[in-house]
Amino acid sequence: MSADNDQQAREQLIDLAAQFYDQFELGEIPHMSVPTRTKNNIEYDEDKDVWVYGDRESTRSANSVRGARKLLKAVYTIEFLADQLEEDRSSTLRELYYLSESWDNDNAQFTSQDESNSLVEDLEIVSGVTREDFHMRPEESGAKVMGPLHIREQTKRGDRDIHCQLDVGQGGYQIPNNPDMIEFLDNDADFVLCVETGGMRDRLVENGFDEEYDAIVVHLGGQPARATRRLTKRFHDELGLPVVVFTDGDPWSYRIYGSVAYGSIKSAHLSEYLATPEADYIGIQPADIVEYDLPTDPLSDSDINALESELEDPRFQTDYWEEQIELQLEIGKKSEQQSLASHGLDFVTDTYLPERLDAMGVI
Amino acid sequence: MTSFQSTLGDEPGIAEELAESQQAISIAEFFEKNKHMLGFDSGARGLVTAVKEAVDNALDAAEEAGILPDIYVEIQEDGDYYRLIVEDNGPGLTKESLPKVFGKLLYGSRFHAREQSRGQQGIGISAAVLYSQLTSGKPAKITSRTEGASDAQYFELIVDTDDNEPEISVEETTTWDRPHGTRIELEMEANMRARQQLHDYIQHTAVVNPHARLELREPSSHFKFERATDQLPEETEEIRPHPHGVELGTVIKMLAATDSQTVSGFLQEEFTRVGKKTAESVIDAFRDRHYGREMRWRPPANHEAIDLEAAVTDATANKGPDATAAFAEAVQSEVASRERLAHHELLDIVDSVADTVEDDHGTTFGDTVRENAVEAVWLALIDAAPTDDSVADASGADASGTDADESRLVADLYDLADDATSTRKDDEIVQAFAVRLAGTFEDETDDDPRHRLTHRTLREYVDRAAELTEEYDDVAFGDTARENVTDAIWDVMVTVPDDPPLVRELEGDRDATSDLVDGMRATDIMAPPTRCLSPISADLIEAGLEKEFDADFYASATRDAEVHGGDPFIVEAGIAYGDDLPAEGSANVMRFANRVPLVYQRGACATTDVVKSIGWRNYGLDQPGGSGLPNGPVVIMVHVASTNVPFTSESKDAVANVPEIEDEIELAIREAARDLKSFLNKRRSMQKRRKKQNVLGTILPEMAEKVAEVTERDEPNIDDAIARIMNNVLVEREVKPNGDGKAVSVVVENNSGTNETLEITEIVSAEPTDLSDGATVVEMDGEWFVKWEAEVSSDDEAALEYVAPDDASFDLDVKGVESEKLTVKQ
Repeated sequence: MSADNDQQAREQLIDLAAQFYDQFELGEIPHMSVPTRTKNNIEYDEDKDVWVYGDRESTRSANSVRGARKLLKAVYTIEFLADQLEEDRSSTLRELYYLSESWDNDNAQFTSQDESNSLVEDLEIVSGVTREDFHMRPEESGAKVMGPLHIREQTKRGDRDIHCQLDVGQGGYQIPNNPDMIEFLDNDADFVLCVETGGMRDRLVENGFDEEYDAIVVHLGGQPARATRRLTKRFHDELGLPVVVFTDGDPWSYRIYGSVAYGSIKSAHLSEYLATPEADYIGIQPADIVEYDLPTDPLSDSDINALESELEDPRFQTDYWEEQIELQLEIGKKSEQQSLASHGLDFVTDTYLPERLDAMGVI
Repeated sequence: MTSFQSTLGDEPGIAEELAESQQAISIAEFFEKNKHMLGFDSGARGLVTAVKEAVDNALDAAEEAGILPDIYVEIQEDGDYYRLIVEDNGPGLTKESLPKVFGKLLYGSRFHAREQSRGQQGIGISAAVLYSQLTSGKPAKITSRTEGASDAQYFELIVDTDDNEPEISVEETTTWDRPHGTRIELEMEANMRARQQLHDYIQHTAVVNPHARLELREPSSHFKFERATDQLPEETEEIRPHPHGVELGTVIKMLAATDSQTVSGFLQEEFTRVGKKTAESVIDAFRDRHYGREMRWRPPANHEAIDLEAAVTDATANKGPDATAAFAEAVQSEVASRERLAHHELLDIVDSVADTVEDDHGTTFGDTVRENAVEAVWLALIDAAPTDDSVADASGADASGTDADESRLVADLYDLADDATSTRKDDEIVQAFAVRLAGTFEDETDDDPRHRLTHRTLREYVDRAAELTEEYDDVAFGDTARENVTDAIWDVMVTVPDDPPLVRELEGDRDATSDLVDGMRATDIMAPPTRCLSPISADLIEAGLEKEFDADFYASATRDAEVHGGDPFIVEAGIAYGDDLPAEGSANVMRFANRVPLVYQRGACATTDVVKSIGWRNYGLDQPGGSGLPNGPVVIMVHVASTNVPFTSESKDAVANVPEIEDEIELAIREAARDLKSFLNKRRSMQKRRKKQNVLGTILPEMAEKVAEVTERDEPNIDDAIARIMNNVLVEREVKPNGDGKAVSVVVENNSGTNETLEITEIVSAEPTDLSDGATVVEMDGEWFVKWEAEVSSDDEAALEYVAPDDASFDLDVKGVESEKLTVKQ
């Protein structure tokens, strides 16, 4: 990313501090308004086809001791980020949390990492600059990609040209924290298959699924990191590849699909940048549990609560999801991806995925 | 075998022998043996009790004479003995009464008076004399001088316990420097172990007697308690007993003693708050209980085939057809015009009609004729007329279609019962019940056709009918239904006009007197007058507490007078909290009865019980376990003032657990505690605000500093923001050059949610001019005090403006707003 870009991000941050300054000078109570980040405050943006925050705002105000501490921490963080941009360094969210210990002011120190994470999100939203542009990255890096794709990645140590099948090992290509540093050179891919669990990804790679079907297999690794989601979106938008998501058949996995396709609630301000609304859900669908006679576990109470809360989640209010979730509540069962192995190790690559992809019109 | 019985029989003289040794005991002798009953159970306690008795007497005496009490107490050590000296500035005692006051138990002016006073029985001070002579063998030395007397009287005396009379050993005239007053000197075996109780007694006395000056000199220390007010307690007046609080025995005694002939006169003469009307109500209530009420039945309706006119005509003989017809017609129409009719009302009707007809027709209607007419009509009304063919036929053809042999009482009672019971009861059940109840009335007819019943008898009838109904018809006829029916019938019934018995008739009639007492209790009577009581008053309680305790907060409450046992009483409570009061341990509970501190037997006292039963956590105090005495820097005082405080014993240490008094104590304490609660709440919110202010006071400047650093600007001014955050009132002086001088404006910005009134004083070192409206200026010693009072509503601003010379300096002082809420910038 260019120095111009860094400079711009830095100015945005300092503008924020200046805003507090002006509030003081006007005799106003310093405050900062951010959209409320709950599921009740996200709405569908028809134009952009993604879910974004609604009109409800929470105000962080120095009116209370808690609010004042929050703003003090915000100012200290702004200073830290501005310095970091100036020096062209980067740090992780966890480092920020520990770094606050070194600040000279007890009141400015974070009490938990959730607090610092959420503050960085606030700053992203208010300044309109993404975390990546602040040079902040999450602790765990993005997931891995395997497939017929040739890319060039700008690294601190120069550009690297990598083929994501030929130049990588069994593990695949590691997605960098800022996937906008990647340039697509060439590809033979027909579609993108995002896989929830590492075990299933390894099964697909071992069975040579990516080669046989010209698929880019993206490992999500639970809730996908922003980088993974951003890269997936770029595959779709820039390479015109259809995206399908393959997860366990339980409510928590549907949320993983949801964050790929619709954007997550906590980063709805970046939905436009991260979400791939065209992504389709391949399975495991509750219908598959019945159709393929998969081994199951009963739904726990928390599963049922999660399913019911998904029924109220605006992101899941489509005919497809309502039908699937109601079916699942009816049968009261859930299945993992690996349960397909009950029909043999090759069943997933030889039978299940081809059948589903065919039905979805991807192949 | 010899038995005790046979021994008795053998020696016929034993009873006489025993009787010889039986003799009357003098009260003095009795108490000599039972000192503890009067509070003289130990040397330690004896001294406190003696002080208490002497001081109480002194206060009573001075107050009664309208003198502000000035009392001096001295305790001297003298070997194994202590010498107690109590001096007052009271009116003094005459030569004649003095020996009896100090040397005779149960001598006093108070015992028979219904009036609030400290002493009541006339035991206290003479008991102290008795105790002194018993333990030291020395007489009491008493000096007294009455106002205007040139000399004082000096006595040395003891109580002769054999006959409870003073025994004077020295009587002489002496000189004394006090113009009037009494001095008593007692020597007794004692110790100072109860010093704390003694101090409590004196201090507490000072609290409830803010008009008294007290001085206590001990061998090792000396205390003075000055007056907080020059206002004497209002004089009390004696009152008669209140009808609500007298017992049967008392009334019997009063009946024997009264000069009144009639009950009405007796009530009005002997009781307070009873006038002619109230006496009449009491007598009516007495009549209802003693004679019962008469049932009023409905006169026959048009459709009923009861011919009263014919009945009267039949019953009237030899009066000539015209007079008879007129009489019968008039009786009939008069009866028909009534909604309901009782027997005695019918008597009145017949009498007045007979009188009229007598006048009109010149025919005499004698008693017999009248009685016959009444009987004829009444029996027809209650359907008990002798079974005459025509009547039976008539009722058989009753248009209403009821059973031929059903009495008309049934229909009447059915309607009453139907209205009184719930709609869910079947008509048939109510009907069956009405038939049975009517049956009991019919049975009653044989005894007393007037149908006179007391409430209790009526209830028995209803119960019987209800039980039968339950038994035969197998339905529930519960207590509520029975009660409702009883009440409905009782309401229809009417008090009889019988004259109440005369006082002398009542005297020997315990039952009738009991009915009278019941009647007195059942009648609404105004609360007794309170001029017999002298409460301390809420203001003086606070003054007393403020005088003796350095606290942050004082509250008090005085309740209205209530009655217990014919004696009115008033309960007062006071609370002091915080500051110098000891924060450790439980609250200090001060108990008072008629302005006398109670220092012993705390655990036996109703006051303590009530304090313990209150949930003090609701009032913001710490109370371990949620019951018992609260903890913390609290003084709780309770004063019970009454013409007769019920004590648990003669030593008057504890108020007995009388529910009426306990209720009032609780209400009084709660009233004062509510004020304490709002004080504590306010204080807590101020503490919170102060804490918030402290925290924000560090965070916001740090934030401002950091913001300035990041934006590379000067530090911003944050006072306005802070004032706003704290919902504070911001007072800010702005100075602008104005020609040769300076234009000054002091701006008040109210950021709080309430209106604030501020008193602003600006001290200027040179003369200010052009003052804005409402401001005044006063010069003192070369300084000009600009005073300005501003009322600023929430979220509003106001400004004081003036012009001052260029070299003037200023100093700003703001009052009227809590310091936590105020930010002053100058």
